[in-house]
Amino acid sequence: MNSYLYDGSADGLLSAIAWILEEEPDPERVTLQERKNTLFEEGFTIGTDATLAEFLFFRLKQSAPDAAHTLYSFMLAEKEAMETTLLHYVSLAFKHGSKVNGYLTHPAVRDIVNIAKKAQRELHRMKGLLRFEKLQDGAYLAKMEPDYNIIHPLAYHFSLRLRAQHWFLYDVKRRTAARWNNGSLQFGTIEQFTAPALFEDEKRVQALWQAFYKTIAIPDRKNPRLQKSNMPMKYWKYLIEKQGE
Amino acid sequence: MDTLAKLQILSGAARYDASCASSGSKREGPSCGTGNTSSSGICHSWSDDGRCISLLKILLSNDCIYDCAYCVNRATNAVERASFTAREVIDLTLDFYRRNYIEGLFLSSAVMQSPDYTMEQMVRVAEALRTEEQFGGYIHMKIIPGSSSELVRKAGLYADRISVNIELPSQASLQRLAPQKHKQAILEPMALIGRHIAASLCERKTNRRAPRFAPAGQSTQMIIGASPETDFQILRLSQGLYKKINLKRVYYSAYVPVTADNRLPVLAAPPLLREHRLYQADWLLRFYGFSAEEILSDDSPHLDESFDPKTAWALRHPEFFPVEINRADYAALLRVPGIGVLSARRIVAARRFSLITPEGLKKIGVVLKRAKYFITCQGRLFEKSDQTPALIRQRLLPGESSQTAVSSLPKQLVLPGLLA
Repeated sequence: MNSYLYDGSADGLLSAIAWILEEEPDPERVTLQERKNTLFEEGFTIGTDATLAEFLFFRLKQSAPDAAHTLYSFMLAEKEAMETTLLHYVSLAFKHGSKVNGYLTHPAVRDIVNIAKKAQRELHRMKGLLRFEKLQDGAYLAKMEPDYNIIHPLAYHFSLRLRAQHWFLYDVKRRTAARWNNGSLQFGTIEQFTAPALFEDEKRVQALWQAFYKTIAIPDRKNPRLQKSNMPMKYWKYLIEKQGE
Repeated sequence: MDTLAKLQILSGAARYDASCASSGSKREGPSCGTGNTSSSGICHSWSDDGRCISLLKILLSNDCIYDCAYCVNRATNAVERASFTAREVIDLTLDFYRRNYIEGLFLSSAVMQSPDYTMEQMVRVAEALRTEEQFGGYIHMKIIPGSSSELVRKAGLYADRISVNIELPSQASLQRLAPQKHKQAILEPMALIGRHIAASLCERKTNRRAPRFAPAGQSTQMIIGASPETDFQILRLSQGLYKKINLKRVYYSAYVPVTADNRLPVLAAPPLLREHRLYQADWLLRFYGFSAEEILSDDSPHLDESFDPKTAWALRHPEFFPVEINRADYAALLRVPGIGVLSARRIVAARRFSLITPEGLKKIGVVLKRAKYFITCQGRLFEKSDQTPALIRQRLLPGESSQTAVSSLPKQLVLPGLLA
């Protein structure tokens, strides 16, 4: 049973997996982990090669599109210490094609698919729960604190939807931001965030939304438990309709 | 009256409409406009009653000439009246959409002056949104029964989904509670819409640019518990609608007493459990291959309140069970209580790779709480084999463990004046 190490980056992980799949006769008996440079660390270090990483993803997309989608979603989750599991999953995906996601009795498939599903679920939720505020200069800003690093696919979703607007997404926890203006999408990090001034009419629109939110509920059918299970409280912080609760 | 006050009146009046779906339509937004639609639909919030909010659900006006007994907006009810202008609805929709509060607009209305007049005002709003404002988001429009077929056609061209509300499931109840509405005026436009949708789908097969007619389909709504129809009658009606005019969905809405009227039943609370059971049965019709006649019969025309309809069916049909997880086909798996579409698909996918063991079954996420009485796994039963249906019934009865909430829900009370 061979052990391998890599540098801890996403590219490093994928290129290490590509290398192992190429060189090892039985990848399912191999372990892979991040190099921590401790004294008793054992294993052979695989160098990072961005083209190799890209090629692996490309090949997976060709032979197992569903698995490539799962891999992408899994990477959004930024989970640590799951490299070996991912290696086994990718190896199985090349063996079985897209239907590998049905192999839920296999522990590696189950773990990877479950984490990917959680990331996808949060991405879908944020598509609905994100709230933009109009700023003084006419641009729109949305702040969020998602569990997973979903800013890329989320920004892509809004680039198709709010095409004529100038907007920003800001991930407060990771300090990353996306910007859409005149048909181009950019990503970056923000070192110092200062809250910009709101558009003068913004509070009026927010008050309209809050009023709508209140009256649309049927009082005889109050069901806070159902509400919270659909819309967990961790997302309430940036919801206009839940301010002050 | 300012927009805020109008919004409060006209969203409050629209809240009893159950439909909120934003799914079933996939449209790329116009390049210089606002909005697109996603085929899965997106919920944007959940209100205090736990229902999702995906559309700005409002009435254009609550100033009604009709006098339907069950309705909060009926002509003789003393509520405050208000009407939006087209501009107000358009601005609200766009302001909310740009801030990602909503997925689109749900526009309904009370009947002002005449059905045609009302429908025309509503169509005008949708038309302006689509053509002047280049709005690409979701639009759900109600069809006012009795409006002309030309207006119905126009509505279908601008909206993603259109719906005609049946409200009461029989002609007799309509006559009693909504004397100005007629069964024909409701069913005719529904059939017309069904034909338009089918024709548009057909045309789009040969011509990609052919206009789409209500791409997210047609739905309807029925009020449950305001009239004496049995669940069997209701389910048979739904089944007919699904089969004959390809309806996407029937919504059931538990009757919430909004006015005191001696033609209406006295309820301690809305019949929520009955509504829930009807939805379960409705799902059995659409996704599980059941027919209304299998679920209910003339001898027992009401759904069992203590069991979901599938469990009730399984207890009546012990000869169908146990079902072997590793061999049974998809249709048979779907009939096992506790196994839904997702679990059945997972089982079928997983057994391609290897036999499923009892532990494996749990690991792929199948919930065994109810299913364990009805399945075998590699020939082995989960529970002792000598269990009679009566014994299983006893074990599955709610109340002892977690589902205490169910038993405390109010039951449908007697309908005064109806039995005489």
